[in-house]
Amino acid sequence: MRCYNCGCRLSEQDFCTNCGADVTLYKKIMRVSNMYYNEGLEKAGVRDLTGAVTSLRQSLKFNKNNVEARNLLGLVYFEMGEVVAALSEWVISKNLRPQKNIADTYIEMVQSNASRLETINQTIKKYNQALAYCMQDSKDLARIQLKKVLSLNPKFVRAHQLLALLYIDMEQWDKAKRELEKCLKIDAGSTQTLRYLKEVEGMLQPDENSKSPIKRKNDEAVRYQSDNEIIIQPLNVREQKSAGWHTFLYVAIGLVLGVATMYFLILPSSVAAEREKAQEQVRSIGEQLDTKTSTITTMQQQIDSLTEENTKLRTDLEEYVGTDGTLKTVDELLLGAVEYLTTQDAMATASHIENVQEGVNLEDTSDAFKALYQALIDKIGPEVALNYYNTGSDFYDDKDYKQAIDNLTKAVEYDPTNGDAMNVLGNAYRQDGQKENAIACYQKVIELLPGTGRATRAQKYIDELSAE
Amino acid sequence: MINFEEELKKFHPSLEVEDAEEAIYNQDITDMADILVKMLQETKTEEK
Repeated sequence: MRCYNCGCRLSEQDFCTNCGADVTLYKKIMRVSNMYYNEGLEKAGVRDLTGAVTSLRQSLKFNKNNVEARNLLGLVYFEMGEVVAALSEWVISKNLRPQKNIADTYIEMVQSNASRLETINQTIKKYNQALAYCMQDSKDLARIQLKKVLSLNPKFVRAHQLLALLYIDMEQWDKAKRELEKCLKIDAGSTQTLRYLKEVEGMLQPDENSKSPIKRKNDEAVRYQSDNEIIIQPLNVREQKSAGWHTFLYVAIGLVLGVATMYFLILPSSVAAEREKAQEQVRSIGEQLDTKTSTITTMQQQIDSLTEENTKLRTDLEEYVGTDGTLKTVDELLLGAVEYLTTQDAMATASHIENVQEGVNLEDTSDAFKALYQALIDKIGPEVALNYYNTGSDFYDDKDYKQAIDNLTKAVEYDPTNGDAMNVLGNAYRQDGQKENAIACYQKVIELLPGTGRATRAQKYIDELSAE
Repeated sequence: MINFEEELKKFHPSLEVEDAEEAIYNQDITDMADILVKMLQETKTEEK
């Protein structure tokens, strides 16, 4: 507690130890303020919020700087749905004590969520609108609006009270009672709520005070009105003493109902469960079957592929192998060798060599095969080449250039150094109109017979053919 | 018996968020301590 005059902290004395001001009355005022604060705190603790508001306001009337009382008042307002009043108290509190003030937290809590603040404002506006509707006697609209308000802010005590008042006016007593009970859960000490509740309860039990229900033997029922309906509650209803056969009948009916429930509800579900289980098994087996079918298909494809490959290999082998099982090409080469050794006939040997050339790729043959083949070529090559050259030249002279080309080509194959054969072959190509082949032959002629008249002519032909 | 019209008069429009600033400024925060200090000051002035 500080001196009102100099602001110095006060001691137990009735005067200020700093400036000497008399603080007897001032201290009493502060104590009264604190007393009201404590009272407010107690009332708030038992949810007597209206009482707490009254006490805390009193506390602030004695000491406006009682920050705790102001913060608690704000909190109580907030609990009652009066958010703006709560914010006002907290803002003033924060101005009075800027540091270490819980009001900071409260203000932050409300203002940090913009959408929540907007909802609060909407709630207040709708409440004011509902009040305006009441003033204009548009009670239905007011009721709808208040229901919206309470869906947004269920703790708005004044809205509950106004809605209860509307229900009372419409004589919907039980609805009014429900609203008032909600009010009491929030604020147990509101005299306005209690007054409305008393009225409502009086209307719901009109004869309660006049006569006890036990004494009214002649009354058969209690009548009261709720909404637009008259509720008739029977009194003195006695249960009939049940006969023995009734009990058995009820037990039998119960058993029948139990069995029926079992048959119609439980049994179908268990049957359905079993069926589902069986379907699951069938599905599983089906999946396994699919997998196996897929494997079989793959293996069948492999078998087909292997069979096809086998057939191809057999065909290839048959091409290589003769009727007696000997490889044809080897047989042919051996025949060529025998022919040469026995008859020395170069052309007959050449026919066997040409058969070998047609039937096999020399690169794929064995070293022994290659050696024999080359030996035969070396022996018969020049003679065969000469024969083909002569034959080709005859065809050339007869202007049968195709035949000439065939024979001369073989001549240069057997003897690649034969420049004359190459020259005539070039002429045959030229005459047959095969320019590129002719030029290639003439170039070889120049290489094989350099400085000769044929080489000069060959060059002339190359120039002429290139110029065309 | 509750009179609706009479009871309705006890309900007042609630303050909207936009009105909060004005409400804070207009709040009378004179307390008993202020009154006491003022009275003491007046007494002192009269004595002088």
